[in-house]
Amino acid sequence: MKKTKARRLNLKHEAGYWHGRFMAMASPCEVLMEVEDKKLAARILEAVMAEAQRIEKKFSRYRDDNIIYQINNANSAPVKVDDETARLIDFADQLTQMSEGLFDITSGVLRKVWKFDGSDKVPEASAVNAVLDYVGWSKVTWQDQTLQMPAGMEIDLGGIGKEYAVDRCVQIARSLTKESVLINFGGDLATTGERKNKACWSVGRLITGKDNAVGLFQLNRGAIATSGDAHRFLLKDGVRYSHVLNPRTGWSVPNAPHTVSVAAPTCVEAGMMSTMAMLQGEQAEEFLKLQEVDFWLD
Amino acid sequence: MQLKKIKGQMAAATCALLQVATPVANAAENDWDVDTAFLYYGEADGRVQAAEPAIYMGRNIGDDDRIDLRVVVDALTGATPNGAYAVNGVAQTFTTPSGESSYTIAPGDTPLDSTFRDVRVALGADYTQSLDRMSKIIWGANLSGEHDYFSMGVSANYSKDFNNRNTTLSAGVGYNNDTVKPGGGVPIEFAPMRDQGASQNIDGSSETKTIIDFMVGITQVIDRKTMVQLNLSLGTVSGYQNDPYKIVTVVDDPVAGLPSTAFLTANDLPYVFEKRPDSRQKSSLFLKAVHHLDEDVINASYRYYSDDWGIKSHTLDLKYRYELAASYLQPHVRYYSQSAADFYRHNLVLGTDINTAGDVLVDYASHDYRLAESTTTTLGLKYGIPMDDNSEFSVRGELITQSVNDGAVPAGQETPDLSAIMLQLNYSFVW
Amino acid sequence: MKWLMSIFAALVLTGCSSMGVEPWERDLLAKDSMQLVPDYFDNFYDEHIYFSKEGSSGGQGVGGGGCGCN
Repeated sequence: MKKTKARRLNLKHEAGYWHGRFMAMASPCEVLMEVEDKKLAARILEAVMAEAQRIEKKFSRYRDDNIIYQINNANSAPVKVDDETARLIDFADQLTQMSEGLFDITSGVLRKVWKFDGSDKVPEASAVNAVLDYVGWSKVTWQDQTLQMPAGMEIDLGGIGKEYAVDRCVQIARSLTKESVLINFGGDLATTGERKNKACWSVGRLITGKDNAVGLFQLNRGAIATSGDAHRFLLKDGVRYSHVLNPRTGWSVPNAPHTVSVAAPTCVEAGMMSTMAMLQGEQAEEFLKLQEVDFWLD
Repeated sequence: MQLKKIKGQMAAATCALLQVATPVANAAENDWDVDTAFLYYGEADGRVQAAEPAIYMGRNIGDDDRIDLRVVVDALTGATPNGAYAVNGVAQTFTTPSGESSYTIAPGDTPLDSTFRDVRVALGADYTQSLDRMSKIIWGANLSGEHDYFSMGVSANYSKDFNNRNTTLSAGVGYNNDTVKPGGGVPIEFAPMRDQGASQNIDGSSETKTIIDFMVGITQVIDRKTMVQLNLSLGTVSGYQNDPYKIVTVVDDPVAGLPSTAFLTANDLPYVFEKRPDSRQKSSLFLKAVHHLDEDVINASYRYYSDDWGIKSHTLDLKYRYELAASYLQPHVRYYSQSAADFYRHNLVLGTDINTAGDVLVDYASHDYRLAESTTTTLGLKYGIPMDDNSEFSVRGELITQSVNDGAVPAGQETPDLSAIMLQLNYSFVW
Repeated sequence: MKWLMSIFAALVLTGCSSMGVEPWERDLLAKDSMQLVPDYFDNFYDEHIYFSKEGSSGGQGVGGGGCGCN
């Protein structure tokens, strides 16, 4: 007879825009909307929230009821995936080729030996080598939307998921309003279009080692994404081991920047570009200059 | 490692990733959706007044199923036409359905039976059962009771989505069994109404009818802003379909149309109880379109109806939801027009349609204004305030005008226009 | 009734597959105001009142319950 309705929203009015907040993908998420009408703002926020939750539920590796769980527990049996999952895997496949294997969605199992808790517990080489048998996209058969990989291997789309969610939500927000909307999922952000009167969206920017947002990104269009985490590293004998792992060696990429932020037309491009830069280690800056993108390094 | 420029490849890959995406999730929640409403319906000139409080509750069960429940109470008072017509210069006396009292209508006034008073309680329940991702069945049950009428029904409606859920086909079947138990008993068809206190022409205390409905429908999304629906319905009603309280005037001379004096025998009044066929085949075509403008929404529908009693009707309904800053205004226009049933009769003429022995020479006859050629025009306005917590308050007023075309009838015997208002309050919330 | 059935069949068999929207374009269609029956009790009361005052009824669905008012 009727349709269901959603819950109460965290939505506040600020200077010239509506500001909605929620938690998803283990990150604080915010939606800034330069619209007048509160109902419209609520509609946008609800749609963005629902999409973020949908993507999280579908692709989180911490759940046991989704496609990622099915794939990771298939025990070498082939798994046919839906269209959306297939597009994400196709995308990851292309990134692996572009990066000559540096980007690899099967590298997650390395976390079994690498625990980036700020301590000095750098794993033994033998332990790393043992796990490395279960890493490598080339060991996976991916065709006809069907994925088959040896038992013990795992894939993790978490490295793409948040940026993908931001871009999907940008598409949704665009369909709901012509006015500018900024989507920010834990530091990965994008706008639907330019603000009125050439104004910019100002977003706080985290700098390594400082707890509060310091500095601002001034964003008028496109997206910015940041890779790196000031709090996830190991420190042993004066050497800092970043949480960026090279899937070919199983070892932390030496001299990787603490954080890399990149601006691009979409959040996925920005995010992947910053991830790729991290994987280049000390060549990160050179890599980014070659790409002719705007970037910020720490 | 050799650094290379991948910006272009990355853009292309991203494009492939984002250009096609997936359904926006519906947050499936297990809260009750509650809708409460109160309707006041009032007809002018002391005719029917009704108060109808109602409550609806619905919630999801698990991920896919749903239950919806409804209770409506309908309290009625006032006067309703008894089927006879107004006559200039003659006062008319009628016996109430119980046979124990009478009422007299002044010359020139429309005969109304003011003993009309009833409370009706109606319960409804739907259970939506998902069969798979694309199809479902809605099982429905209805029950209603009032002092002289009891109805129970069941229905099943199957629907399946196609074309990326842009097309929905549905098929439904409904079965209803109704029992009427008129106060004072079931009047004998075409038998005269008799004087108060005299033995009435009654046969039995109750009658039943069965209603079977079939429907097929298609709902199609045209574009981002437009959706259309088309339904075809067939219905069969069999059993007792008379209005047991409605009579037809018997006249000696159709030109004057005065109640017969020659027809009268001891204790008989010049009115006979109506008689309708005991079967009715109905069919209808229903079209609806909803269209979103920049902010506002238009909801328009048309129904064509036809049955084997000879009634054909057209119904147009148009709502325009005009969005205000934090509320909305919704004007409503409805236009309805029907032709008369074949057996709709102004009266029965002695010697032609009925003889003094009481033999009726026509198959059926009724002077129920609802079977006459008529038009109904409705103008309404609704004001609604959706609130932050997904509750909504609204108030609605409608003005209904119905006029009957009696055809060529003697002056003063026309069916008067009916005008009525509806005032409705609504409050819906999530619980 | 026959011609109605053939129109219906034609509608089902043709055209429809080229119409429609992608799933992420359902933002407007998902609004309460864009439902075929946006106001549950408005529709319910209307059907009830006109059922008791007019000679025709139905069209929108099956079932719904009888009433001594007609």
